[in-house]
Amino acid sequence: MKPSSRFACEMRTTLPATLEAIEEFFVEFRRQAQNTLSRADCFAAELLSREALTNAVVHGCHRDPRKHVICVLRLRGRRLTIAVHDEGEGFDWRAAWNRRGGIFESSGRGIQILRKFAIRVRYNEKGNAVTIVKLC
Amino acid sequence: MIVLSREGDKAVLRPSGADIVSSLVPELRAQMRGIVEEGVRDLVVDLANVQMVDSSGIGLLISAHNSLHKLGGRLAVVHASKDILDLFHTMRIHQHFSVTGDGGED
Repeated sequence: MKPSSRFACEMRTTLPATLEAIEEFFVEFRRQAQNTLSRADCFAAELLSREALTNAVVHGCHRDPRKHVICVLRLRGRRLTIAVHDEGEGFDWRAAWNRRGGIFESSGRGIQILRKFAIRVRYNEKGNAVTIVKLC
Repeated sequence: MIVLSREGDKAVLRPSGADIVSSLVPELRAQMRGIVEEGVRDLVVDLANVQMVDSSGIGLLISAHNSLHKLGGRLAVVHASKDILDLFHTMRIHQHFSVTGDGGED
């Protein structure tokens, strides 16, 4: 994360829509975040960012490497904001948000993780951009 | 890298330096499916060298548990870090199968 005059830290990147690019991003994320956040906050911030990025790459862009995902992580005081925007067609986030999966179901836990680990989650109308806020 | 040790119908899978996240899940799923088809019924996933498990990793573990349970087998997760243990508790994963931390706590 790069210190700036307005924000304590900011990390901004544009990735091709591949899972490999996500893994490369998190190598750098861990290097930067471990100097800034506590261990538990590092874990939660990575988890939330992973869910948003994976959703953008897999469901938003269908892993098309010609498409891009923009990710901005900004820490100001105790407030961490994760913003992810992809070039896909978006998804029905209201249906996903309101879905309640059974305890033995093996899918659908990404949204549950956002619900439990973030204090605020906002999608744009189209469903191809999400802003997540977590207190550190 | 995923290290597999096996003895009869028991097996231990150790992802090493590889997190259980969406990029690894297909490989791990194929490996789990293969050993269950070969007769493994008692599967332990050792997370000693795993830093992160995401929602697709949780889904994989629940899917493996469901498959083994139907066959009369069991899944156990051992040596989870404190963060992963907290995640599993938050997501109520420990209600599905045995999960223990790197100090043996559950």
